[in-house]
Amino acid sequence: MTAAIERPSRTAPSRPRNRTLGVVRLQFTNTQTFVWVPVVVLGGVWLVTLIIYWIISASGVDGPMYSGGSQAPLWYFAVVGAQAMNLTFYFSQAMSLTRREFYLGSLMAAAISAVGISTVFVALGLIEQATDGYGMGGYFAYLPWVWEAGPLAAGLIYFVLTMLWFVLGFWFAIANKRFGSLILTLAIFAIALVLLAGAAWLSFNQSWGELWMWLLETQAIGLALWALGLTAIFALGSYLTLRRLTS
Amino acid sequence: MNSVIEVRHLTKTYKNTTALDDVSLSIEEDSIYGLLGRNGAGKTTLMSILTAQNFATSGEVEVFGENPYENARALNRMCFVRESQKYPDDSNARHALTNARLFFPHWDQDLAEALIDDFRLPLKTVIKKLSRGQQSAIGVIIGLASRAEITFFDEPYLGFDAVARQTFYDRLITDYADHPRTIMLSSHLIDEVADLIENVIVIDRGRIIIDEATEEVRNRAVNVVGDVDAINRLAAGREVIHRESLGRVASVTMLGHLSRTDRDFIAEANLDLTPVSLQQLIVRSTQADSPDHPAADTEVRSLQS
Repeated sequence: MTAAIERPSRTAPSRPRNRTLGVVRLQFTNTQTFVWVPVVVLGGVWLVTLIIYWIISASGVDGPMYSGGSQAPLWYFAVVGAQAMNLTFYFSQAMSLTRREFYLGSLMAAAISAVGISTVFVALGLIEQATDGYGMGGYFAYLPWVWEAGPLAAGLIYFVLTMLWFVLGFWFAIANKRFGSLILTLAIFAIALVLLAGAAWLSFNQSWGELWMWLLETQAIGLALWALGLTAIFALGSYLTLRRLTS
Repeated sequence: MNSVIEVRHLTKTYKNTTALDDVSLSIEEDSIYGLLGRNGAGKTTLMSILTAQNFATSGEVEVFGENPYENARALNRMCFVRESQKYPDDSNARHALTNARLFFPHWDQDLAEALIDDFRLPLKTVIKKLSRGQQSAIGVIIGLASRAEITFFDEPYLGFDAVARQTFYDRLITDYADHPRTIMLSSHLIDEVADLIENVIVIDRGRIIIDEATEEVRNRAVNVVGDVDAINRLAAGREVIHRESLGRVASVTMLGHLSRTDRDFIAEANLDLTPVSLQQLIVRSTQADSPDHPAADTEVRSLQS
């Protein structure tokens, strides 16, 4: 056997951490995906909600108004996750990056984006708190159930949910590339069946009440911690799926 | 010479096909290899496995003495330019090159800029909207300017015109002279790259059928030009792999070496010895086990194929 010999003189120092940070930059090359579209979604929904509140309060209806509009950007992060995978993975391979570097860098990019959007969410909530819902009792971000444990907790909840959706989109995109859309669709149906089975089990045991009680008792922050655990599991699943993806 | 890549008994099977069949190779440092073979012969699969973008079914790959899979230290020293590289959707050539500069430790920005001029690559146009040749230029620029210790070019010039291809060959050979490194170039255009490559690896249906220095491959045959009767006498009993004739003049490529008597005969009959076309030799060897397709019928596959 001829030995393959290292040439220290020409060996570049390996700097995996810098390469991972490089992936963050690589992901943010797509400012549209990671920054502008989430901003437009959040800003757009916020504006529409405020206009609706204004119409309602102008027609003389009193009392605080709440809406679920602030969750719109959360859903969009599933798309961001899928885009981060589809658009960038093959290029990252051409940049001689490992799958691990691509994975960690992409999650870091998502976390940065999620921190940004959570900060906006908290800022809006604080403004609403201070102005009694823009002076007309209309609340977009300040939802009492979410804000029960204070602004920091509200921000954390928002952050965790954003990451959860990102990781879900990311994983589905990886699974789609690795196993094809047929298998992916079948898997989604399998997941739906499992959820249905859970619902059926709750119905047969007449445990829905207990579930709602538990949800109320756990509070939003407790649920966020559960979501964090789920995010970690999905993130691990994404990594294991990505490890054997070929290009 | 040191070997930078060692491949032992590498096999890759897909559901119904065997893409690589017990491939063993040793790639020496600071040398240009031509990886030649027909479409679907396994060239891309081989290069993908060497760069850990694809996985072997069995067998071993060592790059700089290490398994390249998920190995940043080994991958860092390689660059793989694909035939149809995918780029992020809304990115332009400038984004792609800026990122490449970030990730390849030996990147030479001056060379990259010179190449951008050479290929007249528009930097601000979204890559999707560039012509096929311009997209290929991005890959070629990344491959050359990265100056990676091992660079793989997999049919890098799809859509290039003859001028752009010549520019690529010239730049490659000039830069290689100044910065020796290991280059593996897969190509259909065998005669175009023949003067560039120092070693020839021919792969056919997943098997390595030639792995030799280019000179040795050329010495497997001779090409004689001259009077058709004289040539027919010389060729009697030899395996002719290519023949062209125009009136009384013929040009014939035949396998085997020339004896002293042969050389005397050639001198006497006023025949000329000319360089052998690498392409014809290789076309013939990749057809060796299909006798119903004689070499003479061979259509040389062009870039468009």
